[in-house]
Amino acid sequence: MSKKEPGNVLLSLRGIGRSLPSGGRMLTILDDIELDVRRGEFVAVLGPSGSGKSTLLALMAGLDRPSTGMVLLEGERIDQLSEDRLAVLRRHKVGFVFQSFQLLGNLTARENVQLPVELLGVGDARGRADELLAAVGLSARGHHYPSQLSGGEQQRVALARAFAPRPALLLADEPTGNLDGATGRRVLDLLVALRAEEGSTLVLVTHDPAVAELADRRIHLRDGRIEREETA
Amino acid sequence: MKILSWLALAARETRGSSGRLVFFAACLSVGVAAVVAVAGLSNAVDRAIQAQARELLAADLAVESRRPIPGQVLTAIDGIAGSRRAGVLELPSVVSNPAASQGTDAPGPSLLCELKAVEPGYPFYGSLETDPEGTIEQLLDRDRLLVAPEALTRLGTAVGGSLRVGDADFTIAGVITAEPDRLAVSFTLGPRVLLSQEGLERTGLVGMGSRVRHRVLVRLADGSTTDDVALARSVIGTAIPDPEFVDVESYVEAQPSLRTGLGRVERFLGLVALLSLLIGGIGVAQAVRAWLAGRLDAIAVLRAIGVRPHEVFVLYLGQTVVLALVGSAAGAVAGALAAQAVPGLLSGLIPVQVEVGWQPAAMLRGIGLGVGVALLFGLRPLFDVVRVPPVRVLRRDVDPLPVRRGIAAAMWAVLLIGIGATAAVQSGSVLRGAQFAAGLIGATAALVLGAWVVIRAVGRTPRETGSVALRHGLAALGRPGSGTLGAVVALGLGVVTVLGMYLIEDRLSAQLDAELPDEAPSAFLIDIQPDQWPGVRAVLEEADAEDVDSVEVVAGRLRSVAGVPVADLVQERGRDRRWVLTREQRLSTMESLPEDNVIVDGALWSYPDRPEVSVEQEYAADLGVGVGDSLVFDIQGVPLELLVTSIRTVDWTRFTINFFLVVEPGVLDEAPRTRIAATRIPEASESTLQDRLAASFPNVTMLRLRQLLDKVVGILLQVGLAVRMLGAFTVLAGIAILAGAISAGAVRRGRAVALYKTLGMTRAQVAAVFAVEYALVGLVAGGIGTVGGIVLSWAVTRFGFEIAWAWTPAAYLVALISTVALSVVAGLSASVRALAVRPLAILRQGD
Repeated sequence: MSKKEPGNVLLSLRGIGRSLPSGGRMLTILDDIELDVRRGEFVAVLGPSGSGKSTLLALMAGLDRPSTGMVLLEGERIDQLSEDRLAVLRRHKVGFVFQSFQLLGNLTARENVQLPVELLGVGDARGRADELLAAVGLSARGHHYPSQLSGGEQQRVALARAFAPRPALLLADEPTGNLDGATGRRVLDLLVALRAEEGSTLVLVTHDPAVAELADRRIHLRDGRIEREETA
Repeated sequence: MKILSWLALAARETRGSSGRLVFFAACLSVGVAAVVAVAGLSNAVDRAIQAQARELLAADLAVESRRPIPGQVLTAIDGIAGSRRAGVLELPSVVSNPAASQGTDAPGPSLLCELKAVEPGYPFYGSLETDPEGTIEQLLDRDRLLVAPEALTRLGTAVGGSLRVGDADFTIAGVITAEPDRLAVSFTLGPRVLLSQEGLERTGLVGMGSRVRHRVLVRLADGSTTDDVALARSVIGTAIPDPEFVDVESYVEAQPSLRTGLGRVERFLGLVALLSLLIGGIGVAQAVRAWLAGRLDAIAVLRAIGVRPHEVFVLYLGQTVVLALVGSAAGAVAGALAAQAVPGLLSGLIPVQVEVGWQPAAMLRGIGLGVGVALLFGLRPLFDVVRVPPVRVLRRDVDPLPVRRGIAAAMWAVLLIGIGATAAVQSGSVLRGAQFAAGLIGATAALVLGAWVVIRAVGRTPRETGSVALRHGLAALGRPGSGTLGAVVALGLGVVTVLGMYLIEDRLSAQLDAELPDEAPSAFLIDIQPDQWPGVRAVLEEADAEDVDSVEVVAGRLRSVAGVPVADLVQERGRDRRWVLTREQRLSTMESLPEDNVIVDGALWSYPDRPEVSVEQEYAADLGVGVGDSLVFDIQGVPLELLVTSIRTVDWTRFTINFFLVVEPGVLDEAPRTRIAATRIPEASESTLQDRLAASFPNVTMLRLRQLLDKVVGILLQVGLAVRMLGAFTVLAGIAILAGAISAGAVRRGRAVALYKTLGMTRAQVAAVFAVEYALVGLVAGGIGTVGGIVLSWAVTRFGFEIAWAWTPAAYLVALISTVALSVVAGLSASVRALAVRPLAILRQGD
């Protein structure tokens, strides 16, 4: 399948700008972003607070729309799709890991992991959830609710959920930002290992250079612009 | 995604929201319970009437008239193979106990009773229960009669004693303990006295101008079908020479006029019940909004991982429907239980023996209405889930986008039309549904405006002085977005309903119960024969009767109105106010009109060549006649054509002798007549006067105005109690909403409690702050509701019943204080958890 071949472009951002009204004037969050992410690549996005990292991630996922420019995922322009089409696109192609975990509090750990697979309506959601919970070392805690898990455990469940539907693109927003150093490290190792195993493309937002060290490529943002790029 | 996965997700999504969802369900339960109780009870009563139709008629068919049943009708009945018939005559008359007067000058005690003379065979269905037991044939003959137990007590006699009815003395053969064809709820002039037809003849009462109701009960051959009944009915119908004055009723129709009346009561009570359900709808909207506000993050996650907007909508809509089903089902069970308890509580209002049971049809209807109302009110807040942007997973400060104006307007339209539709279902009429909806929407708009103005004013009130609790309570009520507006409006609507109903009932019974006007008569004497008048007058004078007024009247029937035969008009009109045309008309002659009559059209006795009649204004409108039209009467078989030459108004509230029809003097000179009289006597002398008249003039019936009004007041109080019991459901719904609103703000309240405690307030002090806030909510709701209740009752009493209005500040004060108390109790109960919060637990959570 061409989709899994490394090297070709999975995600393209062309001339992206994003501005929001603020206090009676337009505030520029991102300006003239040009970026290609290749299939199988691990890209880290770095920058200080307010540099536009999270907005960039939202645009990549179709959670937000650019003010100018276009976003292409697997060659398809997504910035003009309807909300419905975007939802289906995310369902099939995009996985998320958030700084604040964003697990559904009413669902158990296993149900959280199962949900994206159930949305696809194919395969054995329960089996896949068990497989991933085992991979993140939480087999025994599948029946627990998020409130009954520690922060690190919650983020590991979030990792399992993100990988569950086998997304082509995995987006992670400061996944270790709410965790202490050791726990964060463990979660990060898991993320990297799972990515390698599943062959996913990963875009990770962080302001921690140590985390970014693990990436194939590092994009430095400042004031909404790409300041520089580094390749490992 | 597969259906099962959706259902599972929907079920999982409700976890953890149970507390809030209980309020959602409670809001609906209260209203559904009221709806089911009304529908269940009326279904049960209707079914009981139908099931007991033969017993209630005591026959398969009954022919009824104010005149003797024509011979050809009796022949026709006898011609139906296997049929049997029994005549029944009913009339009111004063009955006395002559034995009590023996050896004294004073006459024995007397009592206005309802006489019923029956022929053997009565009752064909159901049983007449007597003590001692026995058949009509065994217990009644020309000298013996049966009486209701209360007549024995009031006349100071016993079984075996004697009673005088008309000119004849009878022995009391026993008491009547149950009479199949006498409805428990009907308005009666007095206790029953049952005699044989020979006995009634002996009294000499029939044929003296009395109001006799003639009936013939018919029993068809055993095994007759409803088709046979219909056939017999048509055979009898064709034999009737003047069908406009004769009614034929079969058990198949099962008391049509009673059921029409009950149907009206059911529709009215059904709308009162619906009101509590609709108020509950406000609570549903509030609960859904609060519930979804707490789910915004979860909705954003669902959207981020690929759930489409309409799928999120369906997900939450489905949960709303399930919750509505649960709440409505609980309400339906409560309503069915309440309906089963009502016959015990309001026995005087239920006309027949009723086994209420579970009433599945009423329960289903209640559940249907409950779910419908939940969807109507929940739709607008539910639609907000479509507008939750998925980017909220990255930026929590992103709020849901506003719903487009067109969609919002469409949803309001759906809500308003839906309210009209539910009211149409409950009232059985689109027009009444629309009127109810318009009235409710108007009242709600007025309450919203009133509440908004007051809350805004409270928000701007300077709070530099006063206790901490008062200042914080004022601040909490006036704070924008406090969510108390909905609760205030709902509670206010409940107060409007209960207080309004109470005030209307209070005004009506006060009006009926009030001392009669100084100049009004307190007793009417009817059926006085012309030769008896000097004697009756002498008795009245002896009894110190004042302002004796007396008029001769001629009984007649309308034959045609403005050239159209009454039979045709009756056909056109159906049952609606048919009595206007078919009743026995009392015609009087007067040279000049009493001073409370005012001519509004034409002139009195202005037409020298034609016999004239003056008609009362509203009666003329009912008949559809004006000046220049003619009315033809049948006076004892002789036709008399009268020209309407004047229309006049009458002040009926003075209770003086007045007539719809006044005829030119001289015209009725040849006609047979009776006399009626009105007089005013002290209440204490009424019984003595009645006793004296009964002893000397037994055919004269004395109607005591105070007693009659007391009976009307008695019925009114029971109806009022029923309406207020239902009205209480609206207040309950309002309270549930208040509690729901408070519970919805539990997190905010918990945080406030934590802060207050951190700053050094004791738990009691925090509770006081909250109590002041809830008391203010109750005060605003109670105040606005009281004003609304006063306006409602004023409008209804003044323009609906056309009676005087009076202020009753005590009732307003009770309404206000009760609302405040209920509000504080409900509010503090809903805040128990928030009050128990430890400061650290909340402050650590941050945002």
